Amino acid sequence: MTEETLSIIKVRDILVVTMPADPDDATISALQQKVLLAMERSTAKGVVLDVSGVESLDSFFARTIAETTRMVGLMGGRTILTGMRPSVSITITQLGLTLGKTRTALNVDRAFDILQDGSRQVQKP
Amino acid sequence: MIASLPEEVALRTETDIVVVRRAVREAAIGLGFGITDVTRIITAASELARNVFLYAGSGVVRCRVLNRSDQVGLELIVEDHGPGIADINQAMQPGYTTGNGLGLGLPGAKRLMDEMEIESEAGKGTKITVKKWRKGT
Repeated sequence: MTEETLSIIKVRDILVVTMPADPDDATISALQQKVLLAMERSTAKGVVLDVSGVESLDSFFARTIAETTRMVGLMGGRTILTGMRPSVSITITQLGLTLGKTRTALNVDRAFDILQDGSRQVQKP
Repeated sequence: MIASLPEEVALRTETDIVVVRRAVREAAIGLGFGITDVTRIITAASELARNVFLYAGSGVVRCRVLNRSDQVGLELIVEDHGPGIADINQAMQPGYTTGNGLGLGLPGAKRLMDEMEIESEAGKGTKITVKKWRKGT
């Protein structure tokens, strides 16, 4: 059994989480805890959850992403899901999945733009 | 020309869901399905395999190549000896669940595949057969 790990790196004050191609349920569940712990430790203001390598996203995975977004939100951070492949986007829509209030962006670059614009607006009086 | 398919994948633990997804992915790619159909098939298999794990505890997934006139297809048979589905019509309603899932598994898998057949008997188990035909030639 190959161990698929999840990578979390901090870029400026944003956590970039890269999901493996085909994570098992345990890896997906670990995502939640690792992201929340990293939020607390790093005092990040937001999370970019990159799924560009993810080949399929089922209801369990989608529910965990939506929940994680809510939890990060409760801690005061924003989550942006990035890089969803066209085939995954088509499939989860037909499956009837929603990702709750999770914001999305085409790629990590765009997500940084969104998160940084957000902080500029907050800083303005 | 067609890749050999694994005879069957046993579903005993949560990690076997990944084994099912990988086996089904190999099979679908081997049969020449396009990337979107491959993703649909993997996702449907994942939902059905998770149902087995959640409701029956264990089961088995079999892949089979289908041939009809000039069309090639993939059939997945997901079988368990769990409690069975009491009301299949109700189980096919989006949002209906007896567990704590989203209730999307069965109706979602049906939408992703071309054909679905459910045989279930209370106390005996459930057998779900889904088929996907390759478009074009």
